[in-house]
Amino acid sequence: MIVIENVEKRFGETTVLKRINLTIEPGEVVTILGSSGSGKSTLIRCINGLEALSGGRITVDGNDVSTKAGLATARRRSATVFQLFNLYPHMTALENITLAPINVLKKPRAEAEARARELLKLVGLADLATAYPQRLSGGQRQRVGICRALAMDPRYLLLDEVTSALDPEMTGEVLDILAELARGGTTMLFVTHEVEFARRISSRIVFLEQGELIVDMPTERFFAEDGGFAVPRIRQFLTKMKKD
Amino acid sequence: MNQLWVTLRPHLPFMLDGFLLTVFACTLAIIGAVLIGALMASLRTSGNRIVRGVAFAYSDVFRNTPFIVQLFFFFYGLPEIGIYIGAFETGVIALSIIGGAFVSDVIRSGILAVDQGVIEAAKVSGLSRWTIFTKIVLPIALRTSVRPMGSVLINMVLTSSILSTITINELTGTAKIVASTTFKPFEVYLVLLVLYASLTYALSLLINTVHRRLNRAMDTGGAA
Repeated sequence: MIVIENVEKRFGETTVLKRINLTIEPGEVVTILGSSGSGKSTLIRCINGLEALSGGRITVDGNDVSTKAGLATARRRSATVFQLFNLYPHMTALENITLAPINVLKKPRAEAEARARELLKLVGLADLATAYPQRLSGGQRQRVGICRALAMDPRYLLLDEVTSALDPEMTGEVLDILAELARGGTTMLFVTHEVEFARRISSRIVFLEQGELIVDMPTERFFAEDGGFAVPRIRQFLTKMKKD
Repeated sequence: MNQLWVTLRPHLPFMLDGFLLTVFACTLAIIGAVLIGALMASLRTSGNRIVRGVAFAYSDVFRNTPFIVQLFFFFYGLPEIGIYIGAFETGVIALSIIGGAFVSDVIRSGILAVDQGVIEAAKVSGLSRWTIFTKIVLPIALRTSVRPMGSVLINMVLTSSILSTITINELTGTAKIVASTTFKPFEVYLVLLVLYASLTYALSLLINTVHRRLNRAMDTGGAA
């Protein structure tokens, strides 16, 4: 369980997150919606310890991410997929996927590679194990990024706008895999602009507006006329997204 | 042209020895400089202030003093305090040290230019700082540094001519002797200029090849 309590994040004078409270239970797929600059990505970066909190507390299965030991455990239980893939450019797809399992989980190389090949097959990239990131398309890179995250056997998958840098066709490739994972019961925290997709796979939707969490509802309620849709800001957001 | 050949021919084996000694000394010094440079660059990005300070001081001191003075300091100064090493070894070490100071600058820029996103991905996957540095940051930095390192290494070859001042008969040393015995400095030094130019040209070709090899598969986002 990821528990976010009264979390605040300030960059200098700017407050990016204001007293955020959110709990993610195992098995849930929680989507965070909100316009650019609403603090969605920052929230993910607070969970995986890339940003220090200005206030409040985040625990992953009871491990406080603001402590060194807690963060180490939290990082073992979660894995992050990034908007810009962030693959290691000097390593092949296979090496990208096996680096952390070998060095962090201390898996034997052969076992780590077998698992990596399995994952690559799952995302349809079995033939590209020895390709370097530069040779891959954006969609292929992101699929490798997902494999790299899954290779750590995470309890929680943190997805930070993973399709924002992709064209629609490639977005489709990546979303299909995520839908598959959601059906398989992977716990996910999903920051995205893909509203329709979020509606299909999420159990809950959270809406951030200028650093404040203004709505946290089960997906159906969120899209209902008398639910999230009744909140003017959300109706405006959803209408605009549909037009785009 | 014929006259030049007749004059120089008896001295060519001697000059060839000098040429080979220059190639040998430079090869050793370049290897030394890259090793020292990589180490110092790593220390210069260290979190420890003292370590960082020492590494910065090293690079500043050696980049801002004349090489010939450094060389004399090692060659004439060290024996006075009881450290005796041969002229050739002294020359190679001095050349490695000054080369390393410049190389460390190049590699340090390479380290700082590594994409933060890539480092973040490594951090969140739980890799230790040591593993992140040795398996990700440094390998990427070394690949992007090859080409910018080129001019430093070429400068080392040129600077190696100063080793002739401490009794090493490398290319310039032999040329000096031949010029004074034949009384043909114009011809001898002309040949010398051509030889240095070919040597540095060959080195730049080698650097380009290494650069292409290492970066063939990779888009480092930097100077690749």
